[in-house]
Amino acid sequence: MRNQQATQLLFELSRPGRRAARMPACDVPKADLGELLPEQHRAKRPLPLPELAEPDIVRHFTNLSTLNMSVDTHFYPLGSCTMKYNPKRNERLASLAGIAGLHPYQPDATVQGMLQLLYELERMLGEIAGLEAVSLQPAAGAHGELTALMVAAAYFRELGQQRTKVLVPDSAHGTNPASAAMAGFDVVTVKSTATGYVDQADLVDKLDEHVAVFMITNPSTLGMFERRIGPIAEAVHAKGGLIYLDGANMNAILGITRPGDFGADMMHYNPHKTFSGPHGGGGPGAGPIAVTAALAPYLPGPRIYRDEDGAFSLVDAGPRSIGRVRSFFGNVGVLVRAYCYILTHGPDGLRQIAENAVLNANYVLSQLKDVVDVPQGERCMHEFVASAARLKAEKGVSAMDVAKRLLDFGFHAPTVYFPLIVPEALMIEPTETESKETLDEFVAALRQVLDEQVDTLKEAPHTTMCSRPNEVQAARQPVVSWS
Amino acid sequence: MPYFFNTPEDRRAMLDAIGVARVDDLFDDIPAEIKLQRPLEVPPALSEVELERHMKQLSARNTAASESLCFLGGGSYDHFVPAVVDHIASRGEYYTSYTPYQAEASQGNLQVFFEYQTLISELTGLDVANSSLYDGGSAACEAVLMALASQPKRRRVVVAGSVHPEYREIIETYLINLDAELVTVSALDGGVSGDELAAAIDVETACVLVQQPNFFGALEDVDEIARQTHEAGAALIVAVDPISLGLLKRPGDYGADIVVAEGQSLGIPMQYGGPYLGIMACRETFIRKMPGRITGATVDRSGGRCFVLTLQTREQHIRRQKATSNICTNQGLMALRAAVYLAAMGPQGMRETAELCLQKSRYAADRLTENDRFELAFDRRTFKEFVVRDRQGRVTSLLDEAARQGVFAGVALGRWYPELDDCFLVAVTEKRTKADIDRWAECLANSEVGASAVHA
Repeated sequence: MRNQQATQLLFELSRPGRRAARMPACDVPKADLGELLPEQHRAKRPLPLPELAEPDIVRHFTNLSTLNMSVDTHFYPLGSCTMKYNPKRNERLASLAGIAGLHPYQPDATVQGMLQLLYELERMLGEIAGLEAVSLQPAAGAHGELTALMVAAAYFRELGQQRTKVLVPDSAHGTNPASAAMAGFDVVTVKSTATGYVDQADLVDKLDEHVAVFMITNPSTLGMFERRIGPIAEAVHAKGGLIYLDGANMNAILGITRPGDFGADMMHYNPHKTFSGPHGGGGPGAGPIAVTAALAPYLPGPRIYRDEDGAFSLVDAGPRSIGRVRSFFGNVGVLVRAYCYILTHGPDGLRQIAENAVLNANYVLSQLKDVVDVPQGERCMHEFVASAARLKAEKGVSAMDVAKRLLDFGFHAPTVYFPLIVPEALMIEPTETESKETLDEFVAALRQVLDEQVDTLKEAPHTTMCSRPNEVQAARQPVVSWS
Repeated sequence: MPYFFNTPEDRRAMLDAIGVARVDDLFDDIPAEIKLQRPLEVPPALSEVELERHMKQLSARNTAASESLCFLGGGSYDHFVPAVVDHIASRGEYYTSYTPYQAEASQGNLQVFFEYQTLISELTGLDVANSSLYDGGSAACEAVLMALASQPKRRRVVVAGSVHPEYREIIETYLINLDAELVTVSALDGGVSGDELAAAIDVETACVLVQQPNFFGALEDVDEIARQTHEAGAALIVAVDPISLGLLKRPGDYGADIVVAEGQSLGIPMQYGGPYLGIMACRETFIRKMPGRITGATVDRSGGRCFVLTLQTREQHIRRQKATSNICTNQGLMALRAAVYLAAMGPQGMRETAELCLQKSRYAADRLTENDRFELAFDRRTFKEFVVRDRQGRVTSLLDEAARQGVFAGVALGRWYPELDDCFLVAVTEKRTKADIDRWAECLANSEVGASAVHA
């Protein structure tokens, strides 16, 4: 049934003379092109773009879309990514002309509704974080990390303290150390215990007056809440350092506990995860950050200001600000969806997100723990990490084989090989927007997969349009465009 | 709540299976003293009807430039978006999927990214493009970091003062914590001065960043800049307006080593500044230093063509602190929009759009300067934007007054260039008709009798 034309490239479908969009005739007196644009600047030939008719384009991209798994079509338990349902009302509301049609340099008086929305969102994110000040500017989670670390660098620079190091657990997302390096810090790795907690002896050993920030993901990337976060934060603060909370896993603790209340000085949100902004095939996301009052003066600008009469304006962030990290205001379209999501849930609903996410994850864990090893134990927060190490040793079947075979059953694969500290990791995050029946079907599929013949798994998937792309060849002789 | 499934019966059954009595027990790991003992102070939940009413009220407190007469530019433009772009991008299979870690379950996205990369290479005339970055400004900054990483002994970055001021601010923010020197070459007469630029480029220079057309809409002498840059062994980074490439020489054809662009013009709504699309393309020699996702073609187990994320050893999830960048995603949905846009436009549509921008902006400049109050600030060739000087020097009140009449007449430049506080930047896209332009010109010309102008 699959339309083979779909996988032809635009460039292969192209025929000279075909076209889709046509612009109207020029209705102003035309000046001579040569006069307007000297030959030195003019292209000598037309752009070598493909030539297609409009129906061609629609059929091509529509058929291609069917080669994706997505939240709208499949259960997508991709750990750490919080692939929850993306509400359709949010799409509609973010597309209102009075929202989507605003130019970033309109006078403030003409965007009062937008500034109010963003101002309110800042307050909501501050409240959920338990932190005083919020910047909505960063464009993604990793961008939020980098921005916050730049804030920390500026803070210590003003204090006149030479703090060169950022501590990062070995279980952290790769973005943590990469962001620290981009902010000019040396990265020092802190060990984790076998069950995924911070190795406190190792942390204390590495803490000194040169440590600027300890970055911690809590709940951790293993889906465990760091019980000793209080003493950890105290130890870091005692040495004058700051705690950065990677907010990737906020879905598990909404309304239950707040980073500011357990010692975090700064954090980022992933609105595309926690607050359902769609993932868009890899983006756009957004990465708002929340910080303590002491760090607020260093946030990037512009800031939103509300005067006594309730009028909003964008103002310069002041001399202590780190400056801009992105052009214009930020990923507003994503932020609008997050705002709609928070308003849809309210205080009780936000807490119920966490409760149902954690309930669903624990339920899946309870149904699988007799057939897979879960080094962290019998409980988890919103996700858990199973290990296929025993399977690998006994049958030669890897986490990747299991993941690929699950695709045949109509389930997106869990995250594999992350976190790095669990061998043959399979990281499962069901989210709150799935039913018990779906979870039961997923469990049944995974149990069946674990029982299957080795060859069936090694050659999986069997039902997708391609199977086991040769990644080595792709990297050795990169072909990154059609020719 | 509309998006949860679990009924009380489900919860009971699940808790029994887990072996705990209450949902609260699942949060036992969180010490009591840090648990929030009150509800979050956020507004009460709204039904869909109420939410829509609320959002429409907020929306009504804005005046959308897209629904008015929009002459605003400076990196975000009111270009036409064909319906096919919205139609394709609204498919759930695209916007509710994620980064294609499992290639077999993501061939749709991967092929789109491969096509996007090819389209960007064709547009810019450069060998390779990545699958996109956040926006034009951070892409310019990533290009600078890439150039620095490619020549570790060279620590000087030379940037033209005619590059978008916000892009320059981002670069300044990033470089302050790193071992690099930022030199900005002034652009007093609407473009970078060749002599000053030549003086700034030395053997320590890793890269030179210019914008073509520049922030003022004017054309720089890119051939000469390319010659000077390469003579010193530095890399030339050019920030472009993708729409201009329907007429202008492609940067790859005049020697650019790295090209970046704000891709918003390619079918993306203005939406108050984002999400947009950071375009990056470069010569093949830079590919292993490139930031962000890159999609490559390969074959599968049975020899069929397919696509994967490739060269991942550059990236943070493998290289951690040694990665080329901390960037972990691309702007997939925006790259899709750009790909559909470019496919719909084709070479002829791009050419027509660019030519309409050029002709109409010229007409607008002529029309406005019929009034003695206004003059063009610079004697330079422009593409779709130009800078107007208000001889009465009342730019803010002039623009605010026009906005009240539903005409977004231009962007005041004083906030970035104090010496240009009597000037504003005007953008004219293919969407503006002759009647629109006439109305805009009349609105500005008549503004001197407006009350606010008198009080200003």
